[in-house]
Amino acid sequence: MAMTPTESALFEAAGPHARRRILAGTVITSLLFAAFVVWLIMRLDANGQFDPVYWDLFANINIWKFLGAGFIGTVRASLSSGAIALVGGLVLMFGRISGVAPVRWLATAVIEFVRGTPTLLFIYFFFLVPSQFGIHMSTYWMVVIPVAFYASAVLAEVYRAGVQAVPAGQSEAAFSLGMGRWQTYYSVILPQMFRIIVPTMVTQLVVVVKDTTFGYVVTYPEMMQNAKVIVANSTSMLPVYLVVAVIYILVNYAISRFARWLSGRSAAKILAAV
Amino acid sequence: MTSTDSVWGSLTYLAGRFGHDYLTSYGVTLRIGIVSFLGGLLLAIVLTIARISPIPPLRTAVSGYVEIFRNIPVLCLLLFIVYGLPEVGFTLDYEPCVIATLILVSSAFGCDNLRSGINAVDAGQIEAARSLGLSFGAITRSIVLPQALSTVVQPMVTLFISVIISSSTGALVPIAHDELTGLVSKINTKEALGIPTFLVAALFYVATGLVIGAIGRIIEKRAVAWR
Repeated sequence: MAMTPTESALFEAAGPHARRRILAGTVITSLLFAAFVVWLIMRLDANGQFDPVYWDLFANINIWKFLGAGFIGTVRASLSSGAIALVGGLVLMFGRISGVAPVRWLATAVIEFVRGTPTLLFIYFFFLVPSQFGIHMSTYWMVVIPVAFYASAVLAEVYRAGVQAVPAGQSEAAFSLGMGRWQTYYSVILPQMFRIIVPTMVTQLVVVVKDTTFGYVVTYPEMMQNAKVIVANSTSMLPVYLVVAVIYILVNYAISRFARWLSGRSAAKILAAV
Repeated sequence: MTSTDSVWGSLTYLAGRFGHDYLTSYGVTLRIGIVSFLGGLLLAIVLTIARISPIPPLRTAVSGYVEIFRNIPVLCLLLFIVYGLPEVGFTLDYEPCVIATLILVSSAFGCDNLRSGINAVDAGQIEAARSLGLSFGAITRSIVLPQALSTVVQPMVTLFISVIISSSTGALVPIAHDELTGLVSKINTKEALGIPTFLVAALFYVATGLVIGAIGRIIEKRAVAWR
């Protein structure tokens, strides 16, 4: 891992003494990590976790098909929630910066309320409440609506930060050309705003993917739910959860890397967690 | 049932029947949130020291740790700890499982916050301090930390709020005393009390977030003034 300029400035160019100490540290920590890995493997082995009984199921193509179906469920729910949030966030953002005070208050209240409430609480809400009123909802929407709600509220704040990052001179110039408020937004501010926030939007996709794991609660067939089904129908527990965890980590890591790459390419910074 | 017909009626019914439960569960939510955040913060400090140290394997290991726990969904990690670890002989009670999960996740985010706080300090300042003859300890104490800490307050406050919100994941494992989200789902599977039960819980969360946010802004102002 490369050092940043600040980090390398913190430490002077190492002399022979320091270099020896760094080398010692390197050796010692490497040994400690190796010892840790060995201990972990022995621990797993002592508990019989390498017994083929626990891993055999991964030789079965149907298990992978079922996990794959779950993965597609995750992707479907994530993309739909993300797409809804793209629009929902824009609506909330325009409310939040509206010149009409009651609209602004309402949008601010909605954004703060949704951001301050656990997505899981909303999932339970859509899981338990509509049926009390005799409304039937598919498990798909029980996941997508709450996840999209939360993402909309967060995106509204991201959009707002993006709009503020567009230099004021841009809208002043548009006004002086005789453009109206909406045309200024539509053809001057929003196109620049989107360019600024694209990396941040991609980062938010990670949160969306994580939130869709709550399909587990409403039995929407996404990856976490399908893992639960596999665990319930087999003797393997640790291996299944391990494989699923690794898939989630890789997917989200890929998304974050993509966001960083976009950000590096366009010199648009990823806005801090809002 | 007549008393639960209007929203107000159901709120008073709710307060009478479950008021005490709500407060207890809110206490559990706060307990899990605060313990996890403080644990995560301590671990984050240790990790950050290792992350910026000049020892390559330490840096790489911490980077790996941060990437893993930033990217794993909280629910996935929780299930892994609750149902996976007993298979290898580590059995924790459910609430400690939730806390352990949140500590692992928040320490990764906290480490990132601290590191970007440190990197927000311009390298030139450190070089200037060194050329004035300040030692490593003096540079850290009087140049790096004051600036890093004040830029780190806001992200840490956001992290604290999100840890409290994430404690709701505890609703998915049978912890001894329900936290807020678990309580609401339990009430609704017993009696269909609907919207007000959720509204009350949501307001608890939102109010907590707003209070923490306000305290954070005061601390941030102090930190900036102190600097």
